[in-house]
Amino acid sequence: MSGLVAQPGAGAHTGIGRIFERFPFLPAFVILIALLVLNGLFEPNSLSFGALTGLVSTYLALMLLAVAQTYVVYAADIDLSVGAILSLVNVSIIVLMQLMGGSALSVLVACFAGIGIGLACGIFNGIIVAGLRLQPIVATFATSIIFTGIALYIMPVSGIPAPSVYWRTYGGRLFDVPFVIYLAVAVAVILYVIARTRLITQLLAVGDNQQSAYQSGLPVTMTRIRGYALCGVFAALAALCITGDTASGDPLVGGAMTLNSVAAVVLGGTALSGGVGSVAGSVIGALIIGLVNSLVFFVGTPSEWQNLVQGLAILVALTVGILVSRRAGQ
Amino acid sequence: MSHFMKKALATVSVLAAATGATLADDFTIGLTNGWVGSEWRTQMIEEAQAAAAAWGERGVDVEVVVQSSNVDVPGQIAHVRNFISQGVDAIIINPNSPTAFDPVFAQAASAGILVISTDAEVSSQDAIYVGIDQKGWAEASARWLAETLGGEGTVVAINGVAGHPANQMRVEGYTEVFGEYDGIEIVNEVNANWDQAQGQQAMQNLLATYPDIDGVWVQDGMAAGAWRSIMDADRVDEIAATGEIRKDFIDLWVENDFTSGASVNPPGVMASALNVAVFMLQGRELKEPADDGVYGNALYLPIPFIDGNNVAEAASALDGQPGHYSYSSSLSIEEAEALFQ
Repeated sequence: MSGLVAQPGAGAHTGIGRIFERFPFLPAFVILIALLVLNGLFEPNSLSFGALTGLVSTYLALMLLAVAQTYVVYAADIDLSVGAILSLVNVSIIVLMQLMGGSALSVLVACFAGIGIGLACGIFNGIIVAGLRLQPIVATFATSIIFTGIALYIMPVSGIPAPSVYWRTYGGRLFDVPFVIYLAVAVAVILYVIARTRLITQLLAVGDNQQSAYQSGLPVTMTRIRGYALCGVFAALAALCITGDTASGDPLVGGAMTLNSVAAVVLGGTALSGGVGSVAGSVIGALIIGLVNSLVFFVGTPSEWQNLVQGLAILVALTVGILVSRRAGQ
Repeated sequence: MSHFMKKALATVSVLAAATGATLADDFTIGLTNGWVGSEWRTQMIEEAQAAAAAWGERGVDVEVVVQSSNVDVPGQIAHVRNFISQGVDAIIINPNSPTAFDPVFAQAASAGILVISTDAEVSSQDAIYVGIDQKGWAEASARWLAETLGGEGTVVAINGVAGHPANQMRVEGYTEVFGEYDGIEIVNEVNANWDQAQGQQAMQNLLATYPDIDGVWVQDGMAAGAWRSIMDADRVDEIAATGEIRKDFIDLWVENDFTSGASVNPPGVMASALNVAVFMLQGRELKEPADDGVYGNALYLPIPFIDGNNVAEAASALDGQPGHYSYSSSLSIEEAEALFQ
C-alpha cells in the first residue's frame, strides 16, 4: 500500500526532492562534512592525513558490517548476528593462520576460508529466517548466541596474535599510499557493482511489499536467503579488516558492533521497514558514529557525560537527516 | 613527525629560556576506559584525576584528558588515535582487549607517546602494565578459602564472563590452588557474568543442587549476590565464601559476621599507573624493569587482602562513603618514586 501512495507524491517533488530521492544518503553526507569540519575546528590534527587514514582503518570494519546489515534491511529483515559472525570469522582465521604456519600463502587461504565461514553463517541465518519463517529479530539473536558459542569453542580466550605479515600489510603502505586506501577503493567498486545486480532490486522489491513481490512471481524466500548470504560475506570481510587493525583473535570482539551496524544503516537514510536505502549511506553512517565519538572528546566533554552526549549527538544526527529529507520531499 | 618537531622545538626554547634554572615539568596524560558498567571504573578515573592534581604540590603540572564510554574494541582504538592526534605525552588505558591494541600502540610509541595499561594486561611490547596480577588475586582468595576449610570440603565457583581474559586468569589461579589440596573438591563452576543479580540466582541454584557444599569461590560484585542467597538459605554459619570490596558488602559482612575473605583489586590502580607514568616521563629509570607476567611487560602492585582479622579496619576506612564505593589503595607519589632509581 505504501508503495502505491508514495507514487503520486513522487511526481509532485521539487528538483531538490528528486535529488534526495535518487541519493537517499545526501542528508547523512551533509552531516558527515559538518562533523569533519567541527572535528577540524576543535582538533586541527584530526584532519591530518595520518589521522584520516587512522579513521578509515579503524572504522572500515564497522562500514563493512553496516553494509552487510543494509542488504538484509533492504528486504525488511534484520540480522542481529553480524557481530557474532565477525567474531567467529576473526577467531577462525587467526587459528587457521596459526595452524598453517603464518606464511603469506596461509594468510590468503585463511582469508578465503573466513569468507566461506561468513557465507555459511549467512545461509544458515537465511534458512532459519526465510525458510523456517521465524521472526528475524529473535531468530538472528539466537543464532548470534550459537555463533558466539562456536567462536568461544574455537578460541576460549582472546589472545592469539595474527602473523605480522597480515597486520603489517593492513597497516602499512604500498607505493607510499596507505594500504587501507586501496581497500576502501576496492570496496567502493565492489559495492557499485553489487548495487547494479538484480539481487538488490529483488531485495528492495521484497522489502517494499513482500506480498506483491510474491504475487508478481519473485522467489521471495530464495531472495531473502541470498540477502542473508550476502550479509554473511560482508560480515566476514569486516572481520578481515578488524583482524588487520587489531592483529589478534578475540571471540567477543564483534559483540558490541551489532547495534552500531544497525545505527549506521539508519543514520545513512535506509528505512528499517525495507524497500528504500543505499549502502553508501550506511558507510557514511558508520563514519558519522566514529566522528561523533571523536568530536565529543575533542570538544572537551567531561568523562562522566561522554556517553550521554554521544547518544544525544547521534539522535541529533538522525533527526537532522530526517528533517532535511522530509523538507526536501515536500 | 610534525609532533616530534614541535616537541623538539618546544624543548629547545624552554632550555634556552631556563638557562640553568630547573626545568618546569608539564605533562598531558590521556586516560581511556572502554567500559562504564560499574562504579569501580568511575572511582578508578576519579582517583587517577586526584593523583594528577596531587602532582601540583611538587610543582609538576599534570593535565589529564579522559575518554570514558562504552565502546567496542575499534571504538577504544579510536580513543587511542584521538590521543595521538592530540599529541599527549602518555596514554593510560584500561583495555577492552589484551591483544587488539598491538598495532595502534606501535603507532603511539613511534609518535613518542608512553603507553601504560592497567587493570588488564596487554600483549603489546610497546606498552607496560602497571596493576595487580589477576591470577595472584584469585590465588590469594582461593588459598584463604582452602585454609579456612582446613583443606577439606566441597567447593563451587561462580565466575565472570567466559572468554574474558581477566576471568580466564582468575579461573587458572583458583584451579591451581585448589589442585594443591587433595581434600578440596570443586563440584561445579558456573558463569554469572560479573552481575550481582545473576550471582544471587546462580548461588540459589547451586544451594538447591548441592545442599552440602562447604565453600564458595565467587568474584567481585557477584559475591554480594551469592551471600544474599546464603543468608536467605540460613546457611551463614556453615558456609565460607569469598567476598568483595564495596562498602555495602563490607557493612553486611561486619553486621552478620560472615566467614569471608576478599582479595582487593583496588580502583586506585590507575592512579598508581599515573604516578609511575609521570616518573617515566621525567626520564627516570625503574629499578626493576617491568618484565613480569605472561607478556613480560608487567609491573605488579601488591594485592591487599581483607579477612575476618581486618574487616573492621576496612569498614572504618570506608566510613562516610557511598555504598558503591570500593575499598581502595594506590601507590602514593613517594611509594611510586621508590620504584625508580
